[in-house]
Amino acid sequence: MFQSLGTVVEHYVLIAGVIFTLGAIGFLVRRNVLVQLMSIELMLNAVNLALVAFNRAYPGNMTGQIFAFFIIAVAAAEAAVGLAIVLAFYRLKGTVMSDEGDQLKL
Amino acid sequence: MQALTSLFPPNDVTLLAFIVLLPLVGAFINGVFGKRLGREAVTLMGLSVIGVAFLMSLGCFLMLHEQQTGEQAARLVWKGWDWFTLDTGFSRVVLTVGFSLDALNGTMALVVTGVGFLIHLYSWKYMEEDPGYYRFFAYLNLFIFSMLVLIFGDSLPVLFVGWEGVGLCSYLLIGFWFDGEQNASAGMKAFITNRIGDFGLLVAMGLLLLSTGSLDWSGIEANRQHLLDGMQIFPNLGWLGLPNGIMVSRATLVGLALFLGCAGKSAQLPLYVWLPDAMAGPTPVSALIHAATMVTAGVYLVCRLSFVFVMSPFVMFVVAVIGAATALFAATIAFAQTDIKKVLAYSTVSQLGYMFLGVGVGAFTAGFFHVITHAFFKACLFLGAGSVIHAMHARIHDNDQSQDMRNMGGLRRYLPYTFVTFLAAWAAIVGFPLTSGFFSKDAILLEAFSSHIATEGRVITGGETLWEWPQATGTVLYAIGLLTAVMTAFYMTRLLIGIFYGDFRGWKIVQKWKEPKHEHGDHHHEHEEPGPSMKGPEPHESPWQMWVPLAILAALSLVAGFLNAHLLQIHWFDEWLEPVFKTARTAVEHKEVAEAPFLVFAVTAFAVGVGVAYWVYQVKKGEPARAFAEGSPGFYKLVRDKWRVDEFYEETFIGGVDLLAVMAVWVDKWIVDGIVARLTAFFTSLAGTVLRYTQTGRVQAYAFTMVLGMGGVGWFFFLPHAAYRRTRDDLGGKYTLTAMPGASYQYRWDENADGKWDGGFGNKTQVAFNLDPDQTKKVRLQVRNAFGLTATRDIVVHRPKPDLSGADPEALKLLEPTGAKGAPRNGQAPNAPKGAAPAPARGGQP
Repeated sequence: MFQSLGTVVEHYVLIAGVIFTLGAIGFLVRRNVLVQLMSIELMLNAVNLALVAFNRAYPGNMTGQIFAFFIIAVAAAEAAVGLAIVLAFYRLKGTVMSDEGDQLKL
Repeated sequence: MQALTSLFPPNDVTLLAFIVLLPLVGAFINGVFGKRLGREAVTLMGLSVIGVAFLMSLGCFLMLHEQQTGEQAARLVWKGWDWFTLDTGFSRVVLTVGFSLDALNGTMALVVTGVGFLIHLYSWKYMEEDPGYYRFFAYLNLFIFSMLVLIFGDSLPVLFVGWEGVGLCSYLLIGFWFDGEQNASAGMKAFITNRIGDFGLLVAMGLLLLSTGSLDWSGIEANRQHLLDGMQIFPNLGWLGLPNGIMVSRATLVGLALFLGCAGKSAQLPLYVWLPDAMAGPTPVSALIHAATMVTAGVYLVCRLSFVFVMSPFVMFVVAVIGAATALFAATIAFAQTDIKKVLAYSTVSQLGYMFLGVGVGAFTAGFFHVITHAFFKACLFLGAGSVIHAMHARIHDNDQSQDMRNMGGLRRYLPYTFVTFLAAWAAIVGFPLTSGFFSKDAILLEAFSSHIATEGRVITGGETLWEWPQATGTVLYAIGLLTAVMTAFYMTRLLIGIFYGDFRGWKIVQKWKEPKHEHGDHHHEHEEPGPSMKGPEPHESPWQMWVPLAILAALSLVAGFLNAHLLQIHWFDEWLEPVFKTARTAVEHKEVAEAPFLVFAVTAFAVGVGVAYWVYQVKKGEPARAFAEGSPGFYKLVRDKWRVDEFYEETFIGGVDLLAVMAVWVDKWIVDGIVARLTAFFTSLAGTVLRYTQTGRVQAYAFTMVLGMGGVGWFFFLPHAAYRRTRDDLGGKYTLTAMPGASYQYRWDENADGKWDGGFGNKTQVAFNLDPDQTKKVRLQVRNAFGLTATRDIVVHRPKPDLSGADPEALKLLEPTGAKGAPRNGQAPNAPKGAAPAPARGGQP
C-alpha cells in the first residue's frame, strides 16, 4: 500500500487517519458535550495535519498550508459558538450530558 | 426655420424623440408625484408638456413642409438604438427603435398633439372635482406618449408598442371610475376585444418578416414583390374530397391579418362592440381616445402600409365592404339611442366605417382627410356633450340620467356657447355644404363610386384564377355611403333637437330615478311618484377652460374642409400627401365621372336627413317616432337593443369560453384535486409515517448517521471503479471507449480480449476502433487507484446490421463495403427512410 506516495507523507497521513478516527469515535461514544467538542477539534486538526503533510509532499503552491490556517481560524470560531451552546444547554437542563438534548424534534 | 433645419439634419431629428419623451415625462411626474404636487402643479405639468409637444410637432411639420418639394417625399428620421436582433434562419433582422416623420404622420401628429392639448385644457375644469385628478392627467399624458410612439414609429414593432400602449391607456381611462362595476367591465371588454385584433397584427408582423425580411416601412416597401408569392393555407386533403391545398398570395394573408388588427382598434365589424361601452369613461376621454385619435389608428395603419394593401384587391375589397357595412350598421343603432354619448359613439363607429370605405377603395387621401376633419368635429361634439353633461350635473348627479336626452331639451338658452359650437360641429358631420365634413365625406363617396383596384396582386385559388372586384362594387358602396349620410344627418339632427330645442324636460324626475338630494336614504324614495316641478339649480354654461377648446374645434370643423376643397379647386391636402401614397395609387384605376351629380346627391342626402328629422322631432315633437315605436314594438326594441349583437356574442363566443372554463374547473376539481392530489398526499403521508421514527431528536443519533454516511462515501472512493463511456456511430462504424477518471487512476487495456494485457498501467484513457456491420468486439479495462486496488471490466461492443428494408437502391449502392475500414461514408445518410426527398426549396426568400 501507499507505494505511490512518498514515504514521509505516508506516516503523516497514517497518523492523521488515526487521530481522525479517534476523534470520530470519541464524538460518538462520549456523552459529555465538552469532550465531544474536544473530539471535534481532534478531527479538525487531523485534517489540518493531512493538509500540511500533503502540501509538503507536493510543494508547488501553498494551498494546503493556507487552508490549514483557515481551518484553525474557523475552528476557533466554532469552539466559541459551541461553548456558548453548551452554556445555554447547561442552563436549560442543568447538565452537560448530550443524551439529555432530545428536543430537536418538534 | 433655417435654424431648426441646421440644428436637426433630416437624417437625425432628435426633436422627434423629444416630442415623444415630453408626454412620458409628464405622465411619470403626474403619476408618481401628482398626489403631493397638488392640482395646480398637475394641471401645469399636464398641459405644458402637451402644449410644448404640439409646438415642436408644428416645428417638425414646417421643416417637413420646407423640404418636401413636388413629388419627392421628404422624411425626417431619428434612429435611436438597436432594440433586438431576430434570427429568422435565413436572414438576420436588426430591429431599431427609431422614429420617422413624413407628410402622413406629420399631419397626424399635429392632430394628436393639437386636439390633445385642447382636450387637456378642457379636462382642467371638467375633472376639477374628481379625487383622481392627478391620475387622470397622468393617464392622458401617457396616452399621448403612446399615440405618438404609434404614429412616429418607423417599424411595425415600434408601432406595436404604441398600439398596445394606447390600448392600455384606453383600458385605464374607460375604467377610470373603477368603483362602478360597469365601468371596470367596459374597460376589460375594450381590452379583450382589442386583443383579438392585436393577434392579427402579430400574425401580420410574422408574415411580413417571413416574406420581406424586414419590418420597417422602407424595408417592407423595397421587398414587397415577395408578397406576391403564393402560400398554402389549407392542407392537401384531396383524398377526403376536400379542396386540395388552397393557395393565396401572401399579400392577401398579410392584408387580412393587418385589417383584423385595424378592425379591433378602429371598432369595425365584427369587433366594434367595445367602443359604445367605452363611453363609461370620462367624456374628455371619449373625445380624445374614442373619437379623435386612438380609434383612427387603424385607418392610419392602412394608410401607412397602403402599398401592402393594394397588392391584394381582395383585401381592399374586404376593407371597403367592412367599412361600408359598419358605417350603415352603426348608423341604424344610433337611431334609437337616448344616451347622448351612445349616439355619438355609434356615430363614431359609423364615421370610422366611412374612413375604411375610403381607404378600401384606394382613396387614401380622402380617407385620411376624413380622419382629420372627423377628429375636429367629433371631438367638438363629444366635448359639447361633456359640457351638456356638466351642466346637467347641476341637477342630476346620476351619470346615466344626466346623459339621457329625454331629460334635456331647450338647453340652448342655458348653454349659448356650447350650443353654437355644437351646431358648428353638427353642420360638419351632417355634411352642411362647405363645412369640413361635407368636403371629406364627398371625396370619399365620389372615389367609392369611381375607383377600382387594379389586379396588381393575384389571388390564386387552386390554379390560376385571378380575383377581380365585382362590377357593381363601386355603385353599391356609393349607395350604402349615401344612405349612411342620410341616416347620419337624421340621427344627428335628432340629437341636436333633443338636447338644445324644445322645453327643458329636466325639471321633472321620472319615477324610480334617484333624486340626488336624498342620497342618504334612497330606498325610501324608490316608489316616489313622478315628481312635480322641482325647484333647483338651473343648468349653467361651462367655464372658459371648457368652451374655448369648443370654440377652436368648432372653427376648425367649419373651415378645415378648405384644405382639400375639390369643389373650389383646392387640392392642397392631396398634393401634400401625394408622395406618401404614390406607390399605392398606381394600383388604383379611375373611371371618369362628372362631379356635379354627386354634389347634388350629397346635398340632397343632407337635406333629406335633416329635413325629415326636423319634421319628426321639431314640427311633430317626436310623434311619428313614437308612433313607429308603438307600431312595430319588436323591431323598435331590436334596434334599441343594438340588434342584440352583444347578447349574440355573449351566447356564442363568451358562452363557449365559459363552457371551456366549466370543463376545466371539473377536471381541476375531480381529476387534479380529486385523484392526483389525493394520491400524492397518501404516499407522502405514508412516507412521513415511516420516516418519523428516524427523527429521534437526539444529537448523538444524528451524528452517528452522519458518520455512517461519510464512511460510505469514503469507502466508495477507496475502491476503484472501472466505469467507461461509449460513443457509437452505427452508420460509420466508429466506436470509442473512454474510461472515466478518478483519484490517481491508472489504466491498462486488453483490446483483443485474448487474456493478455496490452501493456502496463498507464494514462491511456481511450481506445478507438472500427467495426464492420454485425461485428462484435470484446475489450477489457483494468483500473488501479492510489491504494493499489484494481477493478476490471469486460466491455462488449456490437455494431448492428442496418435496416435496409425499403431503402432507395441508389443509396444502397453507397453502402456496399468498400473494403477499407472507416471509408468516408458517414454523413451521407444512405439508409434514410423512403420518401425523405430533399426538403422543398422555399420560394421567394430574400
